[in-house]
Amino acid sequence: MLEIKPIFNALRRSKVGAILLFLQIALTTAVVSNAAFMINDHLSYLKEDTGFVQQEIFSFGLMTFGKDIDLHQQAERDEDMIRRIPGVIDAVFIQAVPLTGGGSSTSSHLRPPPEESKSLSLAYYYADEHTLDTFGVTLLEGRNFRPEEVVIGSDFDGHGPNTVIVSQAYAQEMFEGESALGKTIYVSSRPLEIIGVVETMKSPWPRGDRSSRTSIIPFINVQNFHRVMVRTEASERDSVMKVIEDKMLSQYDQRVIINIEGLEESKNSYDATDVLMMRMLMVLVVILVLVTALGILGLTQFNISKRTKQIGTRRALGARKSDIIRYFLVENAMICTVGLVIGSFAAFFLGRVLMNAYSINALEMQFVIGTAVGICVMSLLAVIVPAMRAANFSPSIATRSI
Amino acid sequence: MLTMHNVGKIYQTDSVQTHALRDFSLTVNEGEFIAVTGPSGSGKTTFLNIAGLLEPFTSGQYTLDGIDIGGLSDNQRADIRNQKIGYIFQGFNLIPDLNIYENVEVPLRYRGVPAKERKVRILECLEQVGLASRARHLPQQLSGGQQQRVAIARALAGKPRFLLADEPTGNLDTLMARQVMELLEEINQNGATIVMVTHDPELARRAPRNIQVVDGELADLTFYQGKPATPASAPEKSAHESVVGG
Amino acid sequence: MFLHYIDLSIRSIKSTPVISVLMVFAIAIGIGLTMTSLSVFHMMSMDPIPHKSQAIHFPQLNIMDEGGEWHTDDNIPYQLTYQDAINLYNADADFPRSPSFRSGFSVHLNTPDVKPTMEPARLVYQEFFSIFERPFIFGAPWSKEEQQSKPYVVVISESINNRLFNGQNSVGKSIYLDNKSYRIVGVVEDWDHHIKYYDLNNGAFNSPEKLYVPFSIAPLEEIGTWGNTNGWKHETLNGYQSLLQSELVWVQFWVQLNTAAEKEAFSALIMAYMEDQQSKGRFNRDNLQYALRNVTQWLKYNQVVSEDNRILVGLSFMFLLVCVANILGLLLAKFLKRAPEVGVRRALGASKKHIFAQHIVEVSVIGLAGGILGIVIAQLGLWGVRTTNRYYEALATMDVSLLLAAPTIALMASFIAGLYPAWLVCRTQPAIYLKSQ
Repeated sequence: MLEIKPIFNALRRSKVGAILLFLQIALTTAVVSNAAFMINDHLSYLKEDTGFVQQEIFSFGLMTFGKDIDLHQQAERDEDMIRRIPGVIDAVFIQAVPLTGGGSSTSSHLRPPPEESKSLSLAYYYADEHTLDTFGVTLLEGRNFRPEEVVIGSDFDGHGPNTVIVSQAYAQEMFEGESALGKTIYVSSRPLEIIGVVETMKSPWPRGDRSSRTSIIPFINVQNFHRVMVRTEASERDSVMKVIEDKMLSQYDQRVIINIEGLEESKNSYDATDVLMMRMLMVLVVILVLVTALGILGLTQFNISKRTKQIGTRRALGARKSDIIRYFLVENAMICTVGLVIGSFAAFFLGRVLMNAYSINALEMQFVIGTAVGICVMSLLAVIVPAMRAANFSPSIATRSI
Repeated sequence: MLTMHNVGKIYQTDSVQTHALRDFSLTVNEGEFIAVTGPSGSGKTTFLNIAGLLEPFTSGQYTLDGIDIGGLSDNQRADIRNQKIGYIFQGFNLIPDLNIYENVEVPLRYRGVPAKERKVRILECLEQVGLASRARHLPQQLSGGQQQRVAIARALAGKPRFLLADEPTGNLDTLMARQVMELLEEINQNGATIVMVTHDPELARRAPRNIQVVDGELADLTFYQGKPATPASAPEKSAHESVVGG
Repeated sequence: MFLHYIDLSIRSIKSTPVISVLMVFAIAIGIGLTMTSLSVFHMMSMDPIPHKSQAIHFPQLNIMDEGGEWHTDDNIPYQLTYQDAINLYNADADFPRSPSFRSGFSVHLNTPDVKPTMEPARLVYQEFFSIFERPFIFGAPWSKEEQQSKPYVVVISESINNRLFNGQNSVGKSIYLDNKSYRIVGVVEDWDHHIKYYDLNNGAFNSPEKLYVPFSIAPLEEIGTWGNTNGWKHETLNGYQSLLQSELVWVQFWVQLNTAAEKEAFSALIMAYMEDQQSKGRFNRDNLQYALRNVTQWLKYNQVVSEDNRILVGLSFMFLLVCVANILGLLLAKFLKRAPEVGVRRALGASKKHIFAQHIVEVSVIGLAGGILGIVIAQLGLWGVRTTNRYYEALATMDVSLLLAAPTIALMASFIAGLYPAWLVCRTQPAIYLKSQ
């Protein structure tokens, strides 16, 4: 026996409480489902595999101001020295460090540039045959560079390299399912033959759609400001990081070592804004749900205290305790349902507004449904305590005169 | 109909015990109309609450219509209230959010009466109290006398055999009070047993039997207004019993 | 009367402690969260140089041939080519202006006891200091002659001066940048800004440079930018000199134009320059296009306030709305419970106005308390933000205007919540409640 009609009529006649509750539930649904969607978005980005063995890698910057050496020869000597430090697995001079937010990308083409052909943006790392080992990425097809394929110089177009290793994501997008191995792409006007395909390897900008289109180009052009990546045994990394500055300066001291930093540290500072947004959204969601639960509790309490006598009368007229509880549950469920339905529409509307104004994906259905179910459960929980208290009112309240 | 034997009620607060009723014994026969009088705080309302199963009692024995009330669960008592007892309150206790029709409907819904039958009965009862035309009004749109008549209609809707009235005219002026009283007499004529609490001696005198509660005890059974303390209308009971059954 | 109302509200609050505390908390949490996101938003969107933001301008030229596309709203590259920056600086006009870009040097004294450190540097012409009003502690900017003929001079910041020279006047002394010696001509105060509005290349909230050297050093020492370099056509570069001749954009440029007339004059200068360049074979496009934005417009154009933050501010205001609805419900409960008392007051001669005022005062007391507690919560929130990343250290703070805004918003929110309950309770008919007792 659900007394929907009389409950509805009663609600219609004391609107304010119902409207307030409805408003809270609708707004909470709209805000929480969008926030949950965004949290999930950030979370799935943060959990994404970058391809690198982050806890084994660190990088640093090297600013050479001394003019009395050949930078390339010095780089060779430095690499040899670093690789001989106990605990070091491999090391490489590189123009850009992954996941740091600073690096290079270019457009790549299927045909040499003036010709019209399919083109995709491509992030690249200029480094030698030690790169795969230093990154710790998985080679899926093909092979690593041979030492003689690595070109040292400054004229990429004229005397640059002839080979390239690309990421699987790039290969699939560029060649649409065909094997990329052996194919040629053009970077600038230079043809590069794909000799290897690696699994996941993120770009210096790990956020966004293009972050998986990456390549390693065997070209070394050491500048007076250059970067070095070192991979060590995970347990040895801290101690290597501690001695690296002194070791480098003892090789040659007309230079400065800066930003000695573990790779996950670099990624963390790149991700700081994401993490912050996610945390703020989480705080918002938790507090919002709590506040709404409190609101439902308060309003039900208010409804009950306003209707104390009525409850006694109903009990006197033969209502069982369960009838009283059911009355409040049904009443709450009715308001809740309307609130959730309107709230879901509002959620999609808000999602649409956000999507149009900002670079946010369309709100997915399951987040609205999940939020609605959650809020429904929460509101039932919030109403059941006061309702049970109301059911315990003595029916003799009805005979009291105030 | 109603038998109380040595019923007692003690309100227990942290430090004080209050004997609201002590060794209260009373027998009410089918079809009687009893007025209960007594000074304020004497235990009239407590007696009424216990008689109406609104409150549990502390000691003694109470049998209503052959059922021992002492051992019943909360739900069983709710059902007896719903099926056998009708209440009329001093403050009317209409539910302000529901209109007249819906107010009368409340006990019928708890009894699970089907919608069609409910409608017939509600209109019948409202007819009886002369308010059928106001069915869609809200309580606050009616005068006090009208509200009390609605409350009576609500009490009658379940066709109870036992009607309890707590100062039914307490909030009404003399004219209204007289109308309500006449209505109660008419209901009693139709076979229902009525117990009415009042502090108005004039009203009490209109009831065939009077009892007085003083300090939680039944003090005086002798005020008979010239009539014997026997059931006044016992022969009419059969007419009613056939309807109530359920 | 007002004090009497305050007395009444405090008694009322004391008599219903739970519901009052709930209301204060609801406002406080709403305000706290809103203020946290609003503070960051406010700091991000604050005018960094209020008295001059309308005067300082950034010119942009559309250097691309017809059909070229750029990822900006108006299809014009953010920065200038080296040659355009130099030409605009050397053009015959009186407006203070300077090209600029960020780079860095290893800084040392060429002695073994001071270890070289890496310091970011800004390459500018001397006008830069007056345009952005950089206060000098010692010395002054280099002269025009120096930057043309003897450019190995440097302006260092206070913190470097403190580190290398213990805060003594170091003007006239020399420091080494990379392997060259530079003479110190001035010491400026550290630039303590929230937004690095004069160079948004490496992020709007990047740290300021601590060294300034003449722009004319760039070709001599072949100094590359630490910011972005972008191109629009394929060019084969061979060494630094070809970078200077190229169509690559990597230089920023600021010009101070105090009046609309000056802005018009400089616009005309840009137009004339582009026409001249067109005649020399560049700017192959149907319509010559440029932009001249002041600081305010420039920050907006570069979308300095992050998307996330705008969304957060919006969401937190919705959150505040939920809190308001919540408080409205609680107030309704509280005030209606008191209807009988109001009935008595009305019977004793209180007008509707009196009753309304009494309740609004009570609501305000709650709102104010919530606002103040809200500031505390916001400080906690901002502390949480600051610990996330040092990037937010300067941003996640509350300035005076927001400190004042918090109780104001709290009061407004509580008014909105209290208006209806107060109105409802002041409509109480005295008779109803008196009769039923």
